[in-house]
Amino acid sequence: MDTLTGVEHLAEPDGFRDFVETRSSALLRSGWLLTGDWTSAEDLVQTALAAAWPRWASLRRQDAPELYVRKIMVNTFLRWRQRRWTGEIATGQLPETQGHDVFAQVDARQALLAALDRLPARQRAVVVLRYFADQTESQTAAAMGCSVGAVKSHAAKALARLRSAPGLSELLTGGVAS
Amino acid sequence: MNTEERKLADVLHRFTPEPPRRVTVEQVAYRLVSQPRHGHEAGGRVHRPRRGGFGLSRAFAPAAAAAAVVVIAGASVGIAVLANSHHNPPPSAGGAATSSTPMSGSPSPTSSSTGPTTPATGLAGLPWGAELIDHQAIFPGSLVSADGSLYGFGNGTLDRIDPATGAVVDTVQFSPAVLNPPVVSGNTVWVVSSYTGGVIDLQGYDARTLARTSSVQVPAIGGVSPGGQGVLAAGPDGNLYVAAGDVVARVSPSGQVNNLIYVTGGKISSVAVSPDGSKVYLGTGSSTAFKLLVYDLQPRPFQAGSSTLAQGGAGGNLVATSGGVWGTTGSGHSEWVWFAPGGDLSRAVRVGDGAGGGFTAYPSYSGGAVWVGGDGNLVCASPATGQVLASAAIPGDQGVAQFLSSPVVAGGRAYSSYQTDASQTSGLARLTPPAACTGAGS
Repeated sequence: MDTLTGVEHLAEPDGFRDFVETRSSALLRSGWLLTGDWTSAEDLVQTALAAAWPRWASLRRQDAPELYVRKIMVNTFLRWRQRRWTGEIATGQLPETQGHDVFAQVDARQALLAALDRLPARQRAVVVLRYFADQTESQTAAAMGCSVGAVKSHAAKALARLRSAPGLSELLTGGVAS
Repeated sequence: MNTEERKLADVLHRFTPEPPRRVTVEQVAYRLVSQPRHGHEAGGRVHRPRRGGFGLSRAFAPAAAAAAVVVIAGASVGIAVLANSHHNPPPSAGGAATSSTPMSGSPSPTSSSTGPTTPATGLAGLPWGAELIDHQAIFPGSLVSADGSLYGFGNGTLDRIDPATGAVVDTVQFSPAVLNPPVVSGNTVWVVSSYTGGVIDLQGYDARTLARTSSVQVPAIGGVSPGGQGVLAAGPDGNLYVAAGDVVARVSPSGQVNNLIYVTGGKISSVAVSPDGSKVYLGTGSSTAFKLLVYDLQPRPFQAGSSTLAQGGAGGNLVATSGGVWGTTGSGHSEWVWFAPGGDLSRAVRVGDGAGGGFTAYPSYSGGAVWVGGDGNLVCASPATGQVLASAAIPGDQGVAQFLSSPVVAGGRAYSSYQTDASQTSGLARLTPPAACTGAGS
């Protein structure tokens, strides 16, 4: 399917499908780190891709579609957090009674998400862009609309918080193969 | 990057899971045409329509959205359902609705019966003044109560039963696809008509006439659990919650499907929603270990706890109350009910003697109390604490076990499906539980 019948404006841009098919997995994972659940991650990625669709030709010429999509994702995420929720989530984590090893990977993910949840939104966005999406400080600054210095500051504060997060500090201080 | 930053990058890459599914161009296209018309809800957030836009005026947007639904329908099951549920006219009374989706059990026109009723017969020796009021066979564990009517699965049928007489007043051909009683939400009785592979079919019937009114397909991410027991539940807000493989899908009253919770480490085999709608309880696991996950839904779905029951075999049939969650464990040869305060299986207690020999004991929550039947005893318990409020033994019949399903309450009386092999008798039993069982509160 290349176009939506009768909707000229929605003709699928060249290269858009390839981009979605090859990059949606990485974008969704970034979305998951930002939001903490797949439903919101999908929502975030779809929102960003929908914003990129009408500008696609221009973005391709600039060779920057992914940067743009990530920028939209981060700003949408920051807007959500600003509007809907700014506090921490209380988690009554119940103890595992059996099978702890089997779900160790799940526990680590939960620890990671819990630690990210405790970061202010902009620090969380910097962590995802810098350390997961492997963007440079200047690219991160451009995506977030702030200075490189601000990115450095957010990153340093985020690292300090993550260093002391339960379940994550051990992963950051040792035992992780680089 | 310094060493610590590299380690953080490594942790992020290692522990960020692969998404359960990809985003498709069709989804983006649908988003594009839908956005100017209305906000999109996900994770409890309502998005503002985009300013500016892409040349889609507000007047144009509804038509564009409709076009997208039609064109994309072939590529996305969820959107096809949306189109179906939004645009099909309601069926005429007594007739089956048309549907673009294949049905595993073909519905047939409803029939009504107001024929003579069977005189009540006392069931000697059975507790709580049990009396048989109808000989209609009811599938054990399928009996539910709502708005003064009883509903249950008969022999290849979905029945509406008048509790005053025990007579089947409406019936429609239906064979349940999975162990799940009918779920009544609003004016609709929902049943699971297909629970295999990648798509789950739900059928909705008018609660008063059993005319079919709705058909919803729910995509199952990664395929459904082969051990589904209690895969459909209704929330107080009218939404349905479906165990759909690796996800819990939420179906709005209008038929819109939304993947609410993703889990890793096992397919979801059962689901329940707390009476206030704030928590969802999920059962996952294998035939040897049952895992219970607790999710808070606000401000967005978040896992608040997990615990595992490593004894007793497969579990499921979850029922949520104000104090926690109830469920079953075991096989058909030996099955019993537990109550987990706050959803913590490490504090679970066994309730009732359960059932064996092919009988089943599922908990029911009706009339302000939780009920557990079986072939050993009848129990009513507090939904807040799990405390047993009253219990009575079910004696054998000529040395053979008798079975009473977990009662449900309608019109101030309790009803149960009765079965005994000794005298080859089955039917609907009416019970008069002790006062301790009523007014238990929730």
